[in-house]
Amino acid sequence: MKSPMILGLVLLVAGPATGAALRYAEDLAPGIVNPLFTTSMSEARVNELVFDGLFTDDEDLASTPALAADWDLSEDRKSMTVHLREGVYWQDGTALSAKDVVFTVQAMKDPATLSSEAGRVGWIKKVEATGDLQVQFTFEQVEVAPQDKLFFKILPAHLFNGSVVRRGDAFRTQPIGTGPYKLVSYNEDNSITFARNRDFRDTVGVQELVMRELSDKSYQAKLMLYESLEALIRVLPRDLAVLQNNRKVELYPYQTNSWWYLGFNMARAPFNELNIRQGIAQMIDVPTLLAPVGTGELLSGPYVKSSPFYNHEVPLVENDGFLAGGSLEEAGYRLGPSGWENDDGPLTLTLTAPRMMEDAQEIIINLQSQLQQNGITVAVEFLDEAEWKARIWRNQDFDLLLSQWSFDRNEDVRDQFHSKGARNFGGYASETVDSLLDRARESSDPYEKKMLLRESHRVIHDDHPMVFLWTLDSYAAVNTRVSHVVVHPFYFFTYVPTWRMTK
Amino acid sequence: MANDEVASRLAAGLRALARPCAAFAATLVGAIFLAQFLLWLAPGDAADVVADTPKLREALVREWGLDQSLFKRTWLFLGHALTGDLGLSLTYRPGAAVTDLVAPAAVRSGVLLVGALVTSLVAGVGLAFVTAGRKSLARRLVQVFSVVPVFLMAYMLMVVLNETTFSLMESGTLARPDWFALPDQDSHLKTGLAIVVLAFGSSALTEIHVASEQELQRIRRAPFLDAARARGARLAPHLIWNLVPPLTTLASNRAAFFLGGLIIVEKVLHLNGVGAMLWQACRLRDYPLALGITVVAAGVVCGARLAGDLVRVAVDPRLRARA
Repeated sequence: MKSPMILGLVLLVAGPATGAALRYAEDLAPGIVNPLFTTSMSEARVNELVFDGLFTDDEDLASTPALAADWDLSEDRKSMTVHLREGVYWQDGTALSAKDVVFTVQAMKDPATLSSEAGRVGWIKKVEATGDLQVQFTFEQVEVAPQDKLFFKILPAHLFNGSVVRRGDAFRTQPIGTGPYKLVSYNEDNSITFARNRDFRDTVGVQELVMRELSDKSYQAKLMLYESLEALIRVLPRDLAVLQNNRKVELYPYQTNSWWYLGFNMARAPFNELNIRQGIAQMIDVPTLLAPVGTGELLSGPYVKSSPFYNHEVPLVENDGFLAGGSLEEAGYRLGPSGWENDDGPLTLTLTAPRMMEDAQEIIINLQSQLQQNGITVAVEFLDEAEWKARIWRNQDFDLLLSQWSFDRNEDVRDQFHSKGARNFGGYASETVDSLLDRARESSDPYEKKMLLRESHRVIHDDHPMVFLWTLDSYAAVNTRVSHVVVHPFYFFTYVPTWRMTK
Repeated sequence: MANDEVASRLAAGLRALARPCAAFAATLVGAIFLAQFLLWLAPGDAADVVADTPKLREALVREWGLDQSLFKRTWLFLGHALTGDLGLSLTYRPGAAVTDLVAPAAVRSGVLLVGALVTSLVAGVGLAFVTAGRKSLARRLVQVFSVVPVFLMAYMLMVVLNETTFSLMESGTLARPDWFALPDQDSHLKTGLAIVVLAFGSSALTEIHVASEQELQRIRRAPFLDAARARGARLAPHLIWNLVPPLTTLASNRAAFFLGGLIIVEKVLHLNGVGAMLWQACRLRDYPLALGITVVAAGVVCGARLAGDLVRVAVDPRLRARA
């Protein structure tokens, strides 16, 4: 009875197929398209389409000039002159000039701008235009490879007054960049349409891109199968098999510079004790936690395995109940009938995870089960974004949290592990690590920097401020009508000009 | 004399409306205070969502006035709202005027709301004419179908439509329709689906159907209908006219219920109306936007009640006499 009715409805509204554009899905549409106020990956990806930096990544993730044509680093490595590419135009037809670069840096540094990206230019002491297409940067200290940090996006100075950019400026929905795509429209259904920038320095293969908002991630793969989408940024592990077996979909593996971890609140007893943290770490069977959420590489410290800073001599924490018991006994706990306890009572903890984090629920429930089997009473809680930032970032109100950190290629973990780090929510403080991170930051010798950071990996591992989990293998799914696909592990669309698409 | 009568009727009408109008204003202000209070209770604020350093957070809190007392913030909002200014979005679409965001979304949701009201009334009353006073399989079927929660009904219908269409497309029976695939594409089909789900799901249809049956039974037993029957007059106009007041009450009460369902249906079917927007505004702690939508929603509910009262006063002479 139902099928004929449905068929009737279907036939009633049937029409011709459409689809010259490449459509990709985001969980949440960017609220703002202005690289000075980026707070989400969906915004970062759109910025990658519309804007350009002085430098960008080549396919080996090494710095390569974008708006820059050439550069000279001073002998003392405390200043640098960047020569801009000639013949670059903003999407409104105005020529790019050195003033745009100076304006962007000054706007990011201006406290009145309230830029969430201000930290990206904190290392620049002064910037000045020394010619129409020539900019001189002076650094706060010696910089070994400043081009690696000059990838922030450049804004058009002629569209702003003074050096302050406001979050609410009309530019937020009518951005003008020099990137491969121009934002054509913010649509009623929250999608965004982009058309290729014909003045871009390289030929842009795909004529039109459409970002579609689709909050139900589990339905994104379905829409790939229905050919209602041409690209998925990251396929959920449970959808891999079905997409892999579809002849219209190609999967592209990529390694993100991000790692998952369980972080202890070291400002709170009993997690301020090394033996407790070590004991809990030894109770956790990490491969079993990983299995249901995908494949990846297990980690022993705060870098991904492909990083030059990863210390391969540091072993993974051994999952051993006997060793774990020994660590807890050393901390003054004994195994009673209801689990581990001391004179103050049983060992309990609350596991906290962000609600929006993919697969967090599965991991947390599995972890709760593992710890409870080992004699620790565990409560769990999931927090939405605002609550997470307030409870974890602002008030450090947690016992043990599950989260992940993503990095650009500078892989600077100072914020996470330096005692003065802005994102050191667990309250980790080690003079040795502080010194190693400070020296690494100041070092002008790449080899020395590498060795210092590898040593920091070892010390951090031994202190167990976190249980380092894994870096996940990620897969992008792209319709086979799209060819020459290379994806950037962080910004995704960096190489989109090379993509080609047939109708 | 005639003028006196007109003036007296007008005064009676105004007296009848005075209480609903006062209730309208009080409900609106109460809803704003309640929404503001609930948002304040929720952990984290808009500055938390945006800022990744304490310094930036502090600056945003100052700029957005989040350091002001709850009462002052609400008072300021009310003051501006009276002039039609609902403020600027903080996090959902930073800097965009809330009225610019809410107005088109309210129109989209209004279509769903009115569509669902009309559909449920037409279907419920129509069925009641068939089933009232009889043992009927239709009543059972309506109850079973209508008991499905709106989110489940929307999801199931979407999946069935997508899968059936896809298999027809794969077999070459059907060209790709414009609407395909849900919920990605905006289409009349998607809007229609949302209206049907809202009108029928979560027992909406059952409630209207049962209430209509009871009213029909009551009216059919009324003496004036016996009189009409004895005079050989047509009964349908009498039945329908006397059904108007109770159905108006039912419909105006359903408006609030449908508004609640909108949040879920719009989220499942990716319809960019006030329901979906309210969800995001609360998640992102976008206070001006959430309050703006509250004003609209409270206005719709109060407006529906007021309209219901007006209709009842217009239709029922006893109410006018009482006033």
